[in-house]
Amino acid sequence: MRDWRKFVRQRMADSGDAISEDVVRELAEHLEDVYTGLCASGMTEAEALLRTRRLVQNWLELQQSITAARQEGMMNERVAKFWLPSLVTLLLGWGILAILIWAGVQPWMTHPAEARGLEVYVPWLIVQPLVGALGAHLARRANATGWRLYVAAAFPAIAAAVVFLILIPWAVLVDRNVGPDFRFVSFAANTISWVILPGLMLCAGVAVERLRLTKCGT
Amino acid sequence: MIRTELKRGTAELAILSVLERGPLHGYEIGRQIEAQSQGALRYTLAALYPLLYRMEQRRWLEAEWETGANGKRRRCYRLTVKGKKMLAPMRAEWTDLFKVLRRVAKVSHA
Repeated sequence: MRDWRKFVRQRMADSGDAISEDVVRELAEHLEDVYTGLCASGMTEAEALLRTRRLVQNWLELQQSITAARQEGMMNERVAKFWLPSLVTLLLGWGILAILIWAGVQPWMTHPAEARGLEVYVPWLIVQPLVGALGAHLARRANATGWRLYVAAAFPAIAAAVVFLILIPWAVLVDRNVGPDFRFVSFAANTISWVILPGLMLCAGVAVERLRLTKCGT
Repeated sequence: MIRTELKRGTAELAILSVLERGPLHGYEIGRQIEAQSQGALRYTLAALYPLLYRMEQRRWLEAEWETGANGKRRRCYRLTVKGKKMLAPMRAEWTDLFKVLRRVAKVSHA
């Protein structure tokens, strides 16, 4: 029996990019089948070998086609596992807040007279686990697991954290009239109000989704 | 023999159709298509596998290594629910295309 795996691996290695061992194995099995078939049809071993070796004219082109096919999938997979659920939670999470503010819902504040306390939209926080659960559900449906579910669920809080990390330090640097203690307190309060609390509630959505799965028995 | 450019468009439908009857490995998919088309459709290894991987990534197919009766490990492809759903509209699309071609052909021959 010929070592078709070695043959494919060598041709693929000559072509440049690495290709997975599974692909090498599968292509080798195919070549083996072709070779066996040709031998069984009455062809001499030498001729069958030559014909089988010539089956792929351009290994570089084949490798590029396989890589392109798999990358297309990876892109689709990334969109399905990460970007789509994240976009849904982002739009839904902040969209609900916009609607509540538009409807005149007032936030609960620890220091209503000052601008440096916690500011919490309670109804908004209460629905965040459902938003997170939807994100986790969409990600899980696309076969995402582990931390990816949490990232998809908590994406609105992650986006807020990024904004805070860039905008607030910049605002503090620009506005020199603000006292240093106020800066820190304000930053901490805003981080808790808009990143940590919603983030925790959104992550609770992953637990909600897991509970739903357990009840469904899947 | 059907030209390569024409064959390319038919490959997805041909693969889905042969897999509709049951799971097969890559070599057998190519062989069955060739046999059922009486040699008119023949896909080379270089044409078949990139397409199978693409269809797998699109979740039309799923593949698993299975051990055959002869003890050989094969990567077997089977249709997914999504793949099954793709078949009907694809067949309808091809039927429409043939209808249009027939109409156009009549016009051109008139």
